[in-house]
Amino acid sequence: MSEPVLELRNISKSFAMTAALSDVSFTVMPGEVHAIVGENGAGKSTLIKIMTGVYQPDQGAIFADGKAVTVRSTQEAQSIGVAAIFQEPMVFPDLDVAENIFISHQGMGAVMNWRELYKRSDELIARLGVSLDVRRAASGLTLAEQQTVEIARALSLNVKVLIMDEPTASLSAHEVERLLTVARALKASGVAVLYISHRLDEIFQIADRVTVLRDGKHISTRPIAEVTHDGMVRDMVGRNIDAFAMKTKPNPLGERLLSVERLSRAGVFRDVSFDLHKGEILCFAGLVGSRRTDVGLALFGIDPASAGRITLDGKEVAITSPQQAMALGIAYVSEDRRKLGLAMTMPIFANASLPSLKKFLRRFGLIDRKAENDMAERYRKQLSIKSPDVVTEVGKLSGGNQQKVMLAKWLETKPRLLIFDEPTRGVDVGAKAEVHNIIRDLAKQGVAIIVISSDLPEALALADRILVMREGRQMGVFNIQDSTQENIIAVATGQSSVEHMALAS
Amino acid sequence: MKNFHPQTLRLTALALVLLGTVLFFASQIDGYFTPRMLNRIATSVAVILPIAIGQAMVVMTRNIDLSVGSVVGISAYIIGDFLGTYPDVHPVMVLMMAMALGAFCGSINGLLVSYGRVPSIIVTLGTLALFRTFLVEYSSARTITTSSLPKWLVDLPQQTLFSIGPIDFRTIVVMALAAAVIFWLALSRLRVARKLYAVGSNPDAAVIAGINSARVVFTSFVLSGALAGLAGFIFLAKFGNITVVAGLGFELKSVAAVVVGGVNIFGGSGSIFGVLLGTVLVDTIDNSLTRWAVVSEFWRDALLGMLIMTAVAADTWMSRSFGRMKSKAALENVKAPAAAGAKS
Amino acid sequence: MASPSILSRLGTWEGLLLVILVVTVSVNSAIVPQFLTLQNQINLFQLSIEKIIVALAMTFIIINAEIDLSVASVMGLSACAFAIMVQSSVPAGLAIVLCLMLGALAGGINAFFIAYIGIPSLVVTLAMLIGFRGFARVLLEDQGIGGFPAWFNSLGRDAFIGPFPLSLVTFAILFVLCAVILHCTGFGRQVFVIGNNAEVARYSGVNVKRVKAILFIACGVISALAGLFYAARLASVRGDAASGFELDIITMVLLGGVSVFGGRGTIIGVLFSILIVLNLRNGMALMNITGHIQTAVIGILLIMSVLGPNLAERFRDLRKPGGAA
Repeated sequence: MSEPVLELRNISKSFAMTAALSDVSFTVMPGEVHAIVGENGAGKSTLIKIMTGVYQPDQGAIFADGKAVTVRSTQEAQSIGVAAIFQEPMVFPDLDVAENIFISHQGMGAVMNWRELYKRSDELIARLGVSLDVRRAASGLTLAEQQTVEIARALSLNVKVLIMDEPTASLSAHEVERLLTVARALKASGVAVLYISHRLDEIFQIADRVTVLRDGKHISTRPIAEVTHDGMVRDMVGRNIDAFAMKTKPNPLGERLLSVERLSRAGVFRDVSFDLHKGEILCFAGLVGSRRTDVGLALFGIDPASAGRITLDGKEVAITSPQQAMALGIAYVSEDRRKLGLAMTMPIFANASLPSLKKFLRRFGLIDRKAENDMAERYRKQLSIKSPDVVTEVGKLSGGNQQKVMLAKWLETKPRLLIFDEPTRGVDVGAKAEVHNIIRDLAKQGVAIIVISSDLPEALALADRILVMREGRQMGVFNIQDSTQENIIAVATGQSSVEHMALAS
Repeated sequence: MKNFHPQTLRLTALALVLLGTVLFFASQIDGYFTPRMLNRIATSVAVILPIAIGQAMVVMTRNIDLSVGSVVGISAYIIGDFLGTYPDVHPVMVLMMAMALGAFCGSINGLLVSYGRVPSIIVTLGTLALFRTFLVEYSSARTITTSSLPKWLVDLPQQTLFSIGPIDFRTIVVMALAAAVIFWLALSRLRVARKLYAVGSNPDAAVIAGINSARVVFTSFVLSGALAGLAGFIFLAKFGNITVVAGLGFELKSVAAVVVGGVNIFGGSGSIFGVLLGTVLVDTIDNSLTRWAVVSEFWRDALLGMLIMTAVAADTWMSRSFGRMKSKAALENVKAPAAAGAKS
Repeated sequence: MASPSILSRLGTWEGLLLVILVVTVSVNSAIVPQFLTLQNQINLFQLSIEKIIVALAMTFIIINAEIDLSVASVMGLSACAFAIMVQSSVPAGLAIVLCLMLGALAGGINAFFIAYIGIPSLVVTLAMLIGFRGFARVLLEDQGIGGFPAWFNSLGRDAFIGPFPLSLVTFAILFVLCAVILHCTGFGRQVFVIGNNAEVARYSGVNVKRVKAILFIACGVISALAGLFYAARLASVRGDAASGFELDIITMVLLGGVSVFGGRGTIIGVLFSILIVLNLRNGMALMNITGHIQTAVIGILLIMSVLGPNLAERFRDLRKPGGAA
């Protein structure tokens, strides 16, 4: 085999008192897809930041093509052929696709030659095996298209190692397939891909070798052929974990709580109809952009529906604001903790009490701080939130614990209908199981639950029924016993028409 | 309609509003379409246009420069004072000095914003006061008068560079227009200039793409200062008599021109052509109102404020309905499944 | 907020303010013997009473991650409207009520564009800074109007309770009210959360638009009230009344440790910074330093109040390599 294109030797890095990485070494060979896995906090992001010049290692050395190098900035990383794309693509919405691709390219001369720019951009996009109009403004691109732009940008710089950090976290099954195709195209042209993902099935599809990190230490690097799913998970968490089983039959249902008929929002989604019972879990499946979240937001009153009927507990209701939805006992746990879920610089108790603040108000609108504090303490213990107290800033907690604060905040409103949007995105394997258990417990207590999830195994593990959407239309509702990954994907991507499927009745 | 762009619509609308405004005042004011009125508006535009161009570049990077009015004052006064002592310095040299003086003031803003990480609104609100104070102290309440200035400068505003038909192109107007053309070409053609758009469009992405955002923002403030220096020179030439209040309130006028001209206040987009139209519109209204007998000229500021609000509100409304139009069209393209609406 | 880390950080900032305050006062009283008398202190409050009243409202606005640049123009508009009404023999009492309503209307216009149309407050209030000032000029053109009733002119001057004039009593009441509302009520909590992250607040059922609207309308009313105190203090009004005051007001708030990005700040901090600014200006005046230099010093203070913490943070980062993980 040839020389490694990039080698990390004995890298250590600590922040204040905690060691983020200790003595990590591994090599990247040209033209390989090298997966890096580990739980949140295992040191993956620190490793990426060291390779891209954001951080400097405390100890250890980096070798590119056999030569020792120092990487002090993104530019220096690019000059040794290392670039990264992230879960949230970084494009310039006001510039067109071609300019986005060549924005950091130095070799194009001082004066813009637009024709040359478009020609070369077309070539790069073609190399990735996808089609995209390079004259379009980037503001209208989907997440997946934005990633394509980023990859093309990296290619324009002749990268030798492309780091993909959780590239599929926000993508749908169809788009994941497209990304994997791109990764294979890169590999075929000799580019090494460092693939970081929580989704282990993708790793088995694409990776040549797998490196496992745990608690900042290098645990193993093995060819994929020698790795088993269970073995990899064991390496990651340091103990055995049961993969979540598929659910094969629905739970017994309570009485009907919610009935939605031909719900529409002009220009967004149209004619969504379903029933939901107490204690039932209904999953919304579909590609990203299939408008599942928008249906959830309509039920929660953020972006109200423009037509259709919502009946709750036998009474027809019009939901036009979150306040109104909350008064009806509806709660919505957002997919985006950072932007929509939690006030990061505020303490746990203030986040937990926010939607139910009225309960803690006394005369003249004064807050009863003791009652508020007691409530937060109760949830800290009940949900085992790892924090010394409830006055800690939420931003200082780990992703899983932040997710639990989100739960506390909405459980305190005592909802009848809970809508979870991507409840385990960016949450590691251990915390994921905990969140799933909490959702199942809630259903057992009779709460009606809607789970919007792009993670099909998750949907199949939780749901009693699955509603599939595609581009703003409802494609069908399936009972859990009739659902498989294959048929859901087929319907969600429009490859299969609904008539051939067994519909829930 | 393939290359239909909201910005094109924006500029077309602006041009129509400008045309409407001119026609309206022409119907109200006798002898409106005279070379004299045109010159009046043009020389007024000549002072504001350079500032507006600089302001536009700063706004594109998601910042704002409220100190430009004070910089115009400093440049006009100090250069005037300097010429009183050294009247023989070459005109080009004088122009360079005015711009360098402005650029120095701009670099103070730029340093504090880019490297001190203080929000631009705070910095320039502070330097707005600081620069003006400096001027007041420097002047010790003296006034620059035409009599102390060299003849070439006093004659400059009346000097005609060339004429097309009855319309004379004054040198100072051509200077401002030249600045507009240079920056228009640079912003659309130069690779380095595109970084202004990139930084304003997505600052995080700019860092990832290896763009030195701090330097880009710093540069935009230096350029804004230099252009305010140029405006100071034109101001000095136009009025001749300079007091310490020179350029007072120009920061608001320049922001008005930029916002009316369609530069996105959230950064990332805008064109110099739009800024030119915006400046002409603002100055046309300003100059015409003083000649319009129906309302008192004290309405100028009130109308200016309302004009800015109208422009921004129209922009917000337009970009929203444009987005809705697009998503609606997309939904129509999806075929409804035969069994849609099936429920348990 | 009671988080220990925030408390300690604010603690140090407020501690710093206290030190600056003590130094300013001691230097002033060392140079000017009559500085620390009650009467001089009341005087220096009186001279800036309009600004410090509005600073209280501005504190809410900035914690809410917005800004109101139009306050000084609203003050001017209110003062001019009062003058023109008194001149047209409207009873002064009625004129006061109408001016406060005018302030509510001005704040309502800001609130409409900011909260309901969704235009950034920086742009809206910048336009209104020009617009409201323009209307003030339209009302008065280039005349100065005085001749207010004697009782009105004495509002900010004559002792009302003990040695304190009504304007100062009003400030004291407003201060306590604002402190309680901001730090102890549900409304105050909502103001903080919106400043922290308005979308999080909206997704948690907070009526963000209403909170913003209330703040801007309240700010308009308080600015109008301050404009009346200004008219009373000067006993005559011109079209440029109170112009440029926004600089001092925003400086007081930011120097008080309120984050310009919203979500952070205390009323106590703002009180400290008000005292610092007042004493500094008064001290400079007693030392015969001109108004322009005073303004420049305030401008420098404004920049330093943000630059200082930034540099301190950078210095901390350097000493503790790596920073946040």
